[in-house]
Amino acid sequence: MEEIWEGHFLDGKTAAQRKAMISPEPDGLKINLDNGDSLVWPYDEIRQAQGHFEGEPVRLERGEGITEVLIVGNTDFLTALRKQAGERAGRFHDPGFRRTRWWLTFYTAIATLAVCFIAYKWGIPALAKSMAAHVPVKWEQGLGKTELEQLAPPGNRLHNPRLDIAIKRIMARLIRPIPHCPYQFRVIVCDVPIVNAFALPGGYIVVFRGLLEETRTPEELAGVLAHEMQHVLKRHTTQRIIQDTSTGLLLSAMAGDVTGSMAFGMKSARTLALLEYSRGEEEEADREGMKLILAAGIDPQGMIRFFETLKKYDKMPQFLKYASTHPATDDRIEKLKEIVSAQTSPAKKGTIGGKIVLAKAPVKKERLIPEIAWPSLVKGLRSSK
Amino acid sequence: MENDKRNLTFFGNGGTLFGIHLVNLFLGLITLGIYFFWARVKVRKYIWGQLEFEGDRLSYHGTGLETLKGWLKALVIFGIPYFVVSQLPRLMGLGRVFVIVGGLFSVLLIMVFIPMATVGSRRYRLSRTAWRGIRFSFQKVWREYVPIFLRGMILNLLTLGFYSPYYQARRDKFLIANSYVGNRNFEYDGNGDDLFGSYFLSLVLAIPTLFFSLFWYHVKRTRYVWDHTTFGDARFECMITFGGMFWLYLGNFLMVLFTIGFAYPWAQVRSINYLLTNLSLNGPVDLETIQQDAQSVNATGEELSSFLDLDFDLG
Repeated sequence: MEEIWEGHFLDGKTAAQRKAMISPEPDGLKINLDNGDSLVWPYDEIRQAQGHFEGEPVRLERGEGITEVLIVGNTDFLTALRKQAGERAGRFHDPGFRRTRWWLTFYTAIATLAVCFIAYKWGIPALAKSMAAHVPVKWEQGLGKTELEQLAPPGNRLHNPRLDIAIKRIMARLIRPIPHCPYQFRVIVCDVPIVNAFALPGGYIVVFRGLLEETRTPEELAGVLAHEMQHVLKRHTTQRIIQDTSTGLLLSAMAGDVTGSMAFGMKSARTLALLEYSRGEEEEADREGMKLILAAGIDPQGMIRFFETLKKYDKMPQFLKYASTHPATDDRIEKLKEIVSAQTSPAKKGTIGGKIVLAKAPVKKERLIPEIAWPSLVKGLRSSK
Repeated sequence: MENDKRNLTFFGNGGTLFGIHLVNLFLGLITLGIYFFWARVKVRKYIWGQLEFEGDRLSYHGTGLETLKGWLKALVIFGIPYFVVSQLPRLMGLGRVFVIVGGLFSVLLIMVFIPMATVGSRRYRLSRTAWRGIRFSFQKVWREYVPIFLRGMILNLLTLGFYSPYYQARRDKFLIANSYVGNRNFEYDGNGDDLFGSYFLSLVLAIPTLFFSLFWYHVKRTRYVWDHTTFGDARFECMITFGGMFWLYLGNFLMVLFTIGFAYPWAQVRSINYLLTNLSLNGPVDLETIQQDAQSVNATGEELSSFLDLDFDLG
């Protein structure tokens, strides 16, 4: 039985609509127009432009440049068309597919959540890590320098000749064990009473007066510096910038805007001050920092003691940044102690029930810069300016 | 032809649009964003296909590959130079002078590329839109917009922004009067004088009204632009109101906020419906006699627009 469908024909030359009677036949679509003209559209020349959704009329097009158009309101037309088109049926939408499409969309939703989770948890950090390793040191220095101007403007810096000498001596000790260090470290002291220190890409370390005042020995400050140096050496900040930019890209991709994310990336690079390291990065800086302290022959108890001092800031409000980004938990102190014992007495290293046995072997105790009276130096900083 | 009202009607629904966005999101993620270009085409094809005017749906003929190529071109001729002059001096730690000079160059680049993006995206978008098989088009090139744009920017600067309504009128006239459906163009008979008073008032009241006066001006201007757009002997009539737009936007904002973005497609549908139910083309116009006058346009401009984060409406 031959089926005839009602529709409209557009010739692609004028906007006039013409009524058309359409019948799908084995060799093509037979179209009879209201003015008596009749056409045959071979199936392999037809493209379906619309009619993939509920309530959307079927729109078929033929020809390049000047395109002829055929519109049929009834979706069942597609089923009849596909039946007659035989092996070319694949060119046309199958209304029966709509149910399947619904389920596919549903599964896509689940898959999307999974992909986002995986990317956020593992993909992006891994990507950032491998990318950060390839950023030229010169770029890191440039970025660090610009950030330094913002975060520690020259007017805020504290200059104390004795302190500068002391820091230089500590840094010299810490740098010595690092083979082929690509960074030139610079320590900047800020005259601000908060207990904080942070590292910028390229080797800049900013220490606040509040933190210095909390240290009782130069060894304690050395612990902080070693920790921050490791953030630089392991390129944690650079990695963080890349990671935040990538997360921004991911979020914008979700919002369907590629270009907005570039702006987001630039912006996040500008808010370095707000970056937070991950727990893993902090632990790495602790571990490698402590190893550096030991390699430099500095008493490791200083670093441990300073972490214990910081513990009291755990209970303080979040705006004390050192406390919030560097939570000095018992856990971290415990880990530092383990490193010290493992490194100083390798022969005695062993485990009982999975726990490393703390070694009792004494660490070499040679005081760092004994000629400088540390407590009076740091307590006197406030008035020295 | 009889004198009557013609409306553009939207038949789409948020659910279908949501499904399209969702699949797009997934494919975008696993292709690291490259699918974005195809995703946008899919959304447009759906929206255009749900817009009906005088018994025929609009159709969208853009392709993902075209827009991807356009984007790459924009990246090379604009994106990379922009990055070099605006970011590299800072990254390399060059002196303040370099940073400032680089900044100036980046502003200059933007000044050239805004007109390019404005016109280019309009050319692309219109040329890929058809109604009753007749393609739309924009028949001017970006260089012709540069004088209007630069003059507008300079006078805006010299008059502390008070020239703005006059610049907008010139820009709207350029953009609308050179837009065609086949061989027939739209016309624009608005002018800056009509809007100057409202603009002035909205600026003066901006702070006391917590900037709502600017939104009020935006609504008024949108209505004004439509009301002064004609096609043949027919004129558009726009009846959106400040109150209507306010509740629409507030509703959309709350919907999107409380669903952490998932209601976005429904908000999109609400916005389209609100505009279209308040928009009509009134008066005699012989649509049947419109003739095809197609021309092709490359996609660069379209991509530049989203590169610069500008927003455009289909005129």
